[in-house]
Amino acid sequence: MAKPVVKKEYTLGERIYLLEILKGMALTWRHFVFNVKASFRPEPHTVPTCWQYPEDRTREISPIFRGLHMLCLDEKGREKCIACGTCAKTCPAHCITVKKGKRKEGEEDKYASKMYCASFDIDLLHCIFCGFCQEACPKEAIVLGREFELAQYTREECHLDKQKLLANYRKAKEEGKLRPPRKAVPVVKPPPKPEAGAPKTTEGKAGKPAVAGKAKKGQVEVKKAAEKAKGAGKAESGD
Amino acid sequence: MEGWVIAIIKVVFIWAWVLLIATVMTWVERRGAAMMQDRLGPNRAGPFGLFQPLADGIKLFTKEEVLPKKAHKVLWSLGPLLFALPAFSAYAVMPFGDKIVLGGKEIILQVSNVNIGFLYILAIGSLAVYGIVLGGWGSNNKFSILGGLRSTAQLISYEVPLGLALLAIVFVYGTFSLRDIALAQQGTFLGFLPNWGIFKQPLGFILFMVAIYAEANRVPFDLPEAESEIVAGYHTEYGSMELGLYLFGEYVNLVTLSSLIVVLYFGAWHIPYIDVSKFLGPVSWGIVSFLIFYLKVSFFLWLFVWVRWTIPRFRYDQVMGLGWKALIPLALFNLFITALFIQLAA
Repeated sequence: MAKPVVKKEYTLGERIYLLEILKGMALTWRHFVFNVKASFRPEPHTVPTCWQYPEDRTREISPIFRGLHMLCLDEKGREKCIACGTCAKTCPAHCITVKKGKRKEGEEDKYASKMYCASFDIDLLHCIFCGFCQEACPKEAIVLGREFELAQYTREECHLDKQKLLANYRKAKEEGKLRPPRKAVPVVKPPPKPEAGAPKTTEGKAGKPAVAGKAKKGQVEVKKAAEKAKGAGKAESGD
Repeated sequence: MEGWVIAIIKVVFIWAWVLLIATVMTWVERRGAAMMQDRLGPNRAGPFGLFQPLADGIKLFTKEEVLPKKAHKVLWSLGPLLFALPAFSAYAVMPFGDKIVLGGKEIILQVSNVNIGFLYILAIGSLAVYGIVLGGWGSNNKFSILGGLRSTAQLISYEVPLGLALLAIVFVYGTFSLRDIALAQQGTFLGFLPNWGIFKQPLGFILFMVAIYAEANRVPFDLPEAESEIVAGYHTEYGSMELGLYLFGEYVNLVTLSSLIVVLYFGAWHIPYIDVSKFLGPVSWGIVSFLIFYLKVSFFLWLFVWVRWTIPRFRYDQVMGLGWKALIPLALFNLFITALFIQLAA
């Protein structure tokens, strides 16, 4: 139920409204003066809510931000990807294409598993940056990084192949922008379902004071009153 | 110099000057709004973003003109014209300084000193509503027509108190000429108060200010455009320079109305207690009076911006209620009191 509208009784001064306008103007003036002073300060971001983006890149990026993709290497510098294709299947935008390759003798220092991806293509023009590929990946090979300046001049530049993805990883590693290892998500137990009898008793309690005055008029009316109280209780909880 | 040469110079000068102020006002409006809302506003084009209006102008000029399929072609193109033209032409009778003496010839700083000065301004100012209504009707769009309708309903509720407040001014000064009113505000009365309209007509000034905000379609009376309710009201369908004319006309209107406030209530180019013209030569006094006048005007222009970003819009019926139930009785009362005082003083 909607919240009941409480009409406030205004005093004469408030009804004339001019004084209230002046009060409001004093408030906006304080903000104005503060921000004008702030905009002349030499700090990187001057007005508290504004980051002057191309010049000022001090704004923190959230650790769960999903930016440009990368293909990760493990601690020995081997490719993690096993070309299982789960990312390609999960992708809602169908922008990932993976081709399998089999590891040959002597390539153990290059690929972590028996299978590796011969090619790995992502069409950024299709990608919606949902991060499903990252979540689906069993080896945590594909990761969405923090790079967000993705505008390009040609379509070809928006196409990521395996070399670019690996290069993204190396660049992020150099700049220290790698995402910290994910913490285990704590499993939250579903709240225990309320027993079938319990709500009825509480409603009965809520209904009782309302009913008390009309108790003599028989049980039928008591039931009705209880129902009314139930409705009122719902309305209150709805607020 | 010939009289008509001087007239043409004055017309071109004041036209360019008003255009300049209106252009700068768009910048002031945007940056002022930003600063009041804890933002920065446009600060990229030029120093402090001062070239932003220029960039906006170029953008509007180079955009394609789109005519809606079912729009009424004549009314559609007539709308912006009828809105912008009165805004500019109202300045013809506005004094913008005292006088300047060049080559032994006295030139008053006013395009034409008409003896029915502000009757002309009232008439021309009311014409601007046709621009809004025709634009709204011609667009063939429900939001536009709502904007136009609101504009007419608003007009009939604020134009009456506006006229009555001005009538009280006529009672006080006994003239319709804006220059004569401006000249009459020099010196003091009752020994200590400056001889300004606001001290002689305090209630009239408040009524006039309220009505002016409605006339200029500014918050809290910006019902014809009301972005949050009816998109952009009468100029929903307009684009390119036709929209530009509407926006520009609005700012020119602001300049005109601010000048009117200064001339009628704030002593035009006079500074209280000091007669600056005694210390200055005829040429420099002309320039200084011009500057003093526009210093005062700029305050009222800023007030429009300040009020706009402070208070919310009135509801439609509240505007009517305010106009008919509060402003008109008060204006009549003010008129009565003024007449009584004049009669007793005489």
